Formats: sequence, C-alpha cells, structure tokens
Amino acid sequence: MDLSGAGTSNDEFKFKVVLLGEGAVGKSSLMLRYVQGQFNPRHISTIQASFLSKQLVVDGADIDLSIWDTAGQEKYHALGPIYYRGSQGALLVYDVTDAKSFDKVKMWVKELRRALGDDVVLFIVGNKVDLAESRTVDSEMAKQFASSVDARYEETSAKENIGVENLFDLMCSAMVTRARAGPSSRGPSANGGRGPARRIRIVDEPTTGRKCC
Amino acid sequence: RITMPSSSEDHKLRVNFSNRDLLCVNGCGFYGTPQWENRCSKCWQLLQNTQKRNDDYLKNKMAFRQFEERRKLSTESRSLTIKNLLKKSPSLVASQGPDGTSSSASPHVSSSSAFHSSASAGQLGGGSSSPVSRPRTRQRSPESQMARDDLSSFLSRNAPPTIAATISKSLSQLTVNIYEPRMGAEDLSAAVQAYYSQLDAYLNSQTVFIQNKLSIRAGDVMEAVERYLCTACYQRLFWADSDEEVADLSLQERIRSLHWVTFGFLETRLDLTKEQARNRLDEAINEMIDINSHRRVEEKLQCLLRCSHKIFDSLRESAAPTSADEFLPALIYVLLKGNPPLIQSNINFISRFALPSRTMSGEPAYFFTNVSGALHYVQNINHESLKMSKDDFESYTSGELAPPLNKGTCGCNQALSSMESSLARMTKLIAEQKQLATRIDEFERQVSQEETSLCDRIRDLISSFPSPEWIGLRDKVARAEAAANDACSLNSTSSSARVSTDSSESSAPKQPVDLLQ
Repeated sequence: MDLSGAGTSNDEFKFKVVLLGEGAVGKSSLMLRYVQGQFNPRHISTIQASFLSKQLVVDGADIDLSIWDTAGQEKYHALGPIYYRGSQGALLVYDVTDAKSFDKVKMWVKELRRALGDDVVLFIVGNKVDLAESRTVDSEMAKQFASSVDARYEETSAKENIGVENLFDLMCSAMVTRARAGPSSRGPSANGGRGPARRIRIVDEPTTGRKCC
Repeated sequence: RITMPSSSEDHKLRVNFSNRDLLCVNGCGFYGTPQWENRCSKCWQLLQNTQKRNDDYLKNKMAFRQFEERRKLSTESRSLTIKNLLKKSPSLVASQGPDGTSSSASPHVSSSSAFHSSASAGQLGGGSSSPVSRPRTRQRSPESQMARDDLSSFLSRNAPPTIAATISKSLSQLTVNIYEPRMGAEDLSAAVQAYYSQLDAYLNSQTVFIQNKLSIRAGDVMEAVERYLCTACYQRLFWADSDEEVADLSLQERIRSLHWVTFGFLETRLDLTKEQARNRLDEAINEMIDINSHRRVEEKLQCLLRCSHKIFDSLRESAAPTSADEFLPALIYVLLKGNPPLIQSNINFISRFALPSRTMSGEPAYFFTNVSGALHYVQNINHESLKMSKDDFESYTSGELAPPLNKGTCGCNQALSSMESSLARMTKLIAEQKQLATRIDEFERQVSQEETSLCDRIRDLISSFPSPEWIGLRDKVARAEAAANDACSLNSTSSSARVSTDSSESSAPKQPVDLLQ
C-alpha cells in the first residue's frame, strides 16, 4: 500500500518516472506511443497525454508505473523540483536533430544528481532517430556522456516506434534492481515520503520558529 | 407567608399572611410577587438589567482575553506576562504528555509518544484526553460531530474493537495537541504527518491487516482517519497561521493586477475564439474555485482532477496537443483568470495534512503537483518569465497601459464576444429575412397564377354549362348587340362587326354582373 512495497513476499513497486527535456523533443509522443501504442503528428488524442499509468510485470515484480510529463519550456524550468521530487526514475529526452536540446539534458542531469542523489535511475534518450539525415548530436558522444554521469543511453523514434517499448522495459528493470538493492543504498530521499522533504515549499517566506521557550 | 392549616375540618383553606409579606423585598413600598423573587415590577427590572450587564461584561472579557491571547501568540510576542499566563494555565499543565515529558518542547514528539504508550499499554494517560484539559473548551460543530460519528461507526463496523479503541484514543490525544495554541502550521503538519506514519506502522504490525483478514485494508483506515482529521479540525488546521490569510489576500490582489497576462502572454494554444473551448475553460475555473468549499483533502483533490480534465477538454476543442507543454500554461491561465479564493491556503492544507500517498502518486497527485507549480510560477511571474521589457511589465501591472488587443484577447473579452455573437445572429436573421421575402414573392406569384387559372376555369365552366338565367341574359345581350350592329353596319365593314362580336363574347362573364346590378 505504500510507495515501496519492498520486503513483502511478492514484490510490488510503485514507480514514478518523470519525463524531462526541452519543449517539442517528443516527450509526450514517447509516452503516448508506449502506453497507447499510437503516434499522432499533432498528438491530439482522446486521452490526455501528460499523466499516464500502466501496470506491468518486470523481473517477477508487479509494477505500478506512473509517468509524469513536464512542461519543457525554459520559463518553467524552475518548477522542475516540484515535479521530480520523490521519483524513482527520470527520462531525459532530447532531439537528435537539435544540439541545444542535448545541452538541456546535461543541465537536467546535473540538477537531478544534486537533488535526488544516486538513487534515481537516469536514462538519456535521443528521440527522433528516424530523421537520420538531419542528425546533429553524435550517438557515441551522447553515450560517453551518459556513462560519465552513471546514466543509461537509449535511442528511440516515437514516430516509427523504434526502441520505445525497450526503453521503458529497461527503465523498469533498472528501477526494480535499484529498489531491490535495499533501502540502505536508497537513502532518505527515496523513502522520504513522510519527511519534511515531502512537502512542497511554495512560498519562500521565512518560517517563523514556533517552538516554545 | 402562606400556611396551610393541618386541621381542616371545615374543608376550607385558611391562608394567613401579613401585609408585610406582600410588599417588595427592596422595601420600596410597592407590592411584590413570588415570580419576581418577591420584588415589585420596577425593582425586578432593575435587578435583571444589572445581572445582564454583569454577564455581558464577563462574556466580553473572556472573548477579549481569548482574542488578545491569540493575537499575541500569532505575532510571536513572547512577553513575560503571556509566559506567566501560560505557566499558570492549568489546562497546559494537564496536557503534558502521559509519560511526564513536557509537551511544550516538541509537540509532535509528544503525540507520537502518546501513540506508543497507547499501542503498548492499551490505554492513554489518564485525564489528559478529557475535554476539561483542552486549552480552550470547544463547541463541536455539526460537521465535527458528524465526522466523529462517521469514523467511530466505520471503525466499529470494520475493525476489531482493540484497534478501534487504540485509534480513537490516540486520535483524541492528537486532537488535544492540535488545539494547543502554540502550534504553528508547520508544527501541526509535522504532528499530523508523524501521526500518520505512526498509525501506518501500527496498522501494518497488526496481524489482522498482515493476513488480510478484514474486509478493509490498512489504507482504508488511514483514509478514514484523514477524513476525520480534515473535517473535524478543519478550522484549526486550515487557519493555522493568521499570516497565511493575509498572504492569500495579497496573492489574490497580485493575480488581479496580473489579469492582463491572460491576454495572450502565456503562449497557450488555447483557441479562445471557439465557444466550446471557452466554455470548457469556464467550467475548469468553476471547479478550481470549488476547491475551497470542501473540507476533505480527498474532495479538494477531486475538484482539482475535474478542473484538469476540463482543461484537457478545452485543449482538445482548440485542436491543441494535450501534452504537459500545453497543459501547464493553460492551467496558469485558469489560475489567473479564475483568481480562486484562498487557493494558496488550500494547496498548503493539502500538502500539509493529506496522507503522503495522496500527494506522491496517482493522477490527483500529478495534477496537484501541476497546480503547485502553476501557483509557484504565478507568484514569481516577472518581465523575464514573460520575455518582455521591464517597463512594459510594470505599466501593464499597475494598469497604466492596457495590453495590446489581439484575436485571443477579443475572444476572452466578454463584451466583445457578446457583440460578436450578436453580430452573427443579426447576419443570420438578415439572411433569413431575405429568404422569407423571396418565398413571399414566390407565393404571391403563385396565388395570382392560381387566380387567373381559376378565373379561366370558371369562365369555361360557365360557358359550357350556362344557367337559364345566363342564357336569357346572353340572348338579351346578343339581341342588343345585333341591334347595335345593325345600326353600325350602315357605316362600318362586316369584318369590324365580327371583331366587336368577338370582343363582346370574351368580356361576357363580366357583363352579367353589370346587368345584374
């Protein structure tokens, strides 16, 4: 019933995965392709495509996976922590035809490692590989960067359905492995649903100490 | 004095009283009555007035003292007098933890220790949970009473009595802590969250829940407890900090001054020229405003969920993608446009007192996060985040300059949109009128056609089936014509005579009328 059902006989996990990346790199398309198995160039679908959940079994564990899409525009960058706190995994998506979007991924990696530590499973995803002729981000370079920050690297095309299913499967099994490694290595943030970190600080007003004497 | 004689052989009541006994006890010389405590009407009235004044004074004094106390506490002025007052107050001494530790050091610790002791010993520290020990005796509102009844019936129906008793005892201890006036919002949140985690651990250690022997899960109990706390202690939890009310009001003021941002500065792809999209947005705004009318976290989150779905509907009507890239700006639009009352307090309330699972997973949690984000964005909105010059931003915000009009703006301006719809209706009406006019013309033409054809038929019928009267008339006419012709034939040709005969025949149907007249 709780965030991590670690310890019970049949493993049950609740995973939260955030999609981060610049606007229009295909975050929502990836998500829709994975959960709905469809692609729509303007992705006007009958369902909303910003929060999706899926039940699946990976490596003998029941997984309740929820995927949180985030707004990629630069002006909403500051809201990142509100979205990614308490998540077990993050997909950092960039567009292989857009070098700027890869720089953004680098930024996110830095921020996530600082905020969530090593507990979060990071996947760097190069999307739109179907547009090979206009590619500007080198695959090898991205792979090297990923391994240098302890992240996995995958390439996908939501349009052509290349590697999407595989990406999420890898993600889930990586998260299961991480969760099974025990709460000892998971640190306080993964299990900190009840700590003070749980709450959102919306205002930055100084908290007035209210302890008596 | 009224006396009843014991020996009443004559069956007559003999009442003895002196004249003095009938007089007003105040000795004013008037007669008094027992109902007025042996006073005359005037003295009784006087007494009543003084008593009432005294009562009112005491009541006011109490109220004023409470007000003063609260005010001083909220402004954190820890003057010596207040300290003394707190020390002297018997209620606070009584509300110390059952194990003797002072609850003043860290309130939520005392709540958790209370839980421990209750879980182990099965009973809670003596009189500390009795209503007398509460810092301020509270009158339970109907909602609180109902929440209490709901919880107790839920527990007695579904849980073993020992668990139910433990929960209700620990809850009443928590309630005592909650109503301590020194508790700030963050302390309250810590206390409640600590209680949740204690309760969670306790429930999950109970064999009935581990073995799934009950019809309910531990999570259901947690939800029932949350429901109770949010409903019964709403006033206290929601208004934990008086500063927050002020903060909320100033946020509302700020949103009002940022109203112009909705005029096309959010880069949404909402198509506000479409009526359907606009209507869905209005519904979303209503849902968001509705958050404040519910007490339970669950219901507040449901409002948020419905609000979000309406926004997605609106995006769909606008033929825009339903991704987060589009959703967040639309949500910010709704927030700015709706300016929902006390939104920040509500968000704070949810994040402080909801079960952790609610704000951490599931769809409601996602939308809650989005609203928190949108609120954060609105609070920090500035010229940089809108990519405009500082001067423009400030003059728009202060109302010096009106933002430029554009298509989207026209769509959201109600006067303009109603004018637009009136115009459309007018055009439609004019078109309809034109259509009607042509139909009328057509009809008229048809009528005249019918008329002529009817006349023709009548003429035919008359000529083929002439009545005797008609024949007589015709003969008469023919004779008259023949006479005339005879007269005329003297100075005209025979051909012209034939023509005139023809013409007289063709005008025959008219002639009888003339003749009949």
